[in-house]
Amino acid sequence: MEDVQVVAMLVRRCIAGDAAAWEEIVQSYNRRIYNLCYRFAGSADDAQDLTQEVFIKMYRTLSSYDHTKGAFVTWVTTITRNLLVDHFRKTKQDRMTDSMDTAASEHEDAQPLSEQIPDLSAPPDTRVRQREVSETVHAALGKLSPELREAVILRDLQDMDYREIATVLKVPEGTVKSRINRGRAELARLLQRTYRQVM
Amino acid sequence: MPDHTNHGMQCNEFDSLLSDALDGVLSRAALDRFQAHARSCQACGALFAEVEAGRNWLKDLEEAEPPASLVTNILASTTGVDTQRLRSAAPTRQPRISWLEHVQAALLEPIWAMVRQPRFAMSFGMAFFALSVGLTVAGVKPADLRQVSLRPSALRHAYYNTQARVVRYVDNVRAVYEVQAALAGIKRNVRPAEPGPAKPTKERKNDTSQQPEQKQERNYSQTGEQLILASAHRGPCIGDCDLPVGSVTTYRRFV
Repeated sequence: MEDVQVVAMLVRRCIAGDAAAWEEIVQSYNRRIYNLCYRFAGSADDAQDLTQEVFIKMYRTLSSYDHTKGAFVTWVTTITRNLLVDHFRKTKQDRMTDSMDTAASEHEDAQPLSEQIPDLSAPPDTRVRQREVSETVHAALGKLSPELREAVILRDLQDMDYREIATVLKVPEGTVKSRINRGRAELARLLQRTYRQVM
Repeated sequence: MPDHTNHGMQCNEFDSLLSDALDGVLSRAALDRFQAHARSCQACGALFAEVEAGRNWLKDLEEAEPPASLVTNILASTTGVDTQRLRSAAPTRQPRISWLEHVQAALLEPIWAMVRQPRFAMSFGMAFFALSVGLTVAGVKPADLRQVSLRPSALRHAYYNTQARVVRYVDNVRAVYEVQAALAGIKRNVRPAEPGPAKPTKERKNDTSQQPEQKQERNYSQTGEQLILASAHRGPCIGDCDLPVGSVTTYRRFV
């Protein structure tokens, strides 16, 4: 994705106070970081706030980036992941309250995911159907545990290799692969159950 | 997961090769063993199918579109600069400012700002009021100013006219005062003799103040039944002194 020398030059220009270089970095990475935040946090509003926080932190700590220690995208993703973990911890209480509110319906074998899915056989438009499928997968992704979710997102949505993911998550590569596979399998089971109930 | 050995591969080995198998990086021999284990081990086969399905679901997931304002907000919150370049590709050209507008902005604006202050406006108003009152008293009319000629001969003419006017005015005033003084003297002379020694009265020459005479007149009116003798006193006079005893009308000429 990135040429190490080009990015290193951009970072040096940013540190020297070149606003255009910083703008170039923001333009290059905002989409990637926003998607990572959106898939992990689940909400567009939270994703926007988190993306801004990521760039603010990047801007303040840009001088600490050492291109000899790793790719810039790995450094950026590590910052993003740390903020996502903080956000997850902060909002844990809110999620517990929400889950208590919905606990009754879940225990009655309700269909938490299928409730969010409109009738898939109804819309003839392929694009509409595609969007609905995306929303369903996104909702299922949010049901995964944070460890599995982040591993799956980094691998399948951010296209990072196992070594980079291991660096970001600070776990061995074997653990990364195991989490990715468990996450994919869990996601497939959730979606399979959902569609079986809908169909 | 049970740790069985099928086709020379244990389930934990199958688990570790799962990612590589899906990524397509296994060697041909390792892939054959992997696939053979997946077929023979029900649990591993089901796991492989689920992992593959999950990866395919995620592969179809569309990329989320960030809000249009995201980059602008990020730049504003980091550098504090709200770059107009992001909002419009073509920057708007600044209108050209002429030198007159520069002068106006540099000089007139501060002066106008000072003039608009209430303190200055009040002072200016008072000065204008005083000037207009002064001109009105002096008899200067704005309509006359339009007809003023600034030629040297006209200026000389105006100067002599003004001088003659002032002289006439002074003469008129002097005549009026003399007539009034004469009348006062006549009034004093026709006053009846009072019992007792009469106080010597001083003749006033060139008396320009009428106050003592006015006081005497007021005293006369308080004793209205006294006789008024029709005799005139020949007091100090200038020129023709045969003035009648009756009223004298004078006309002031100020112009």
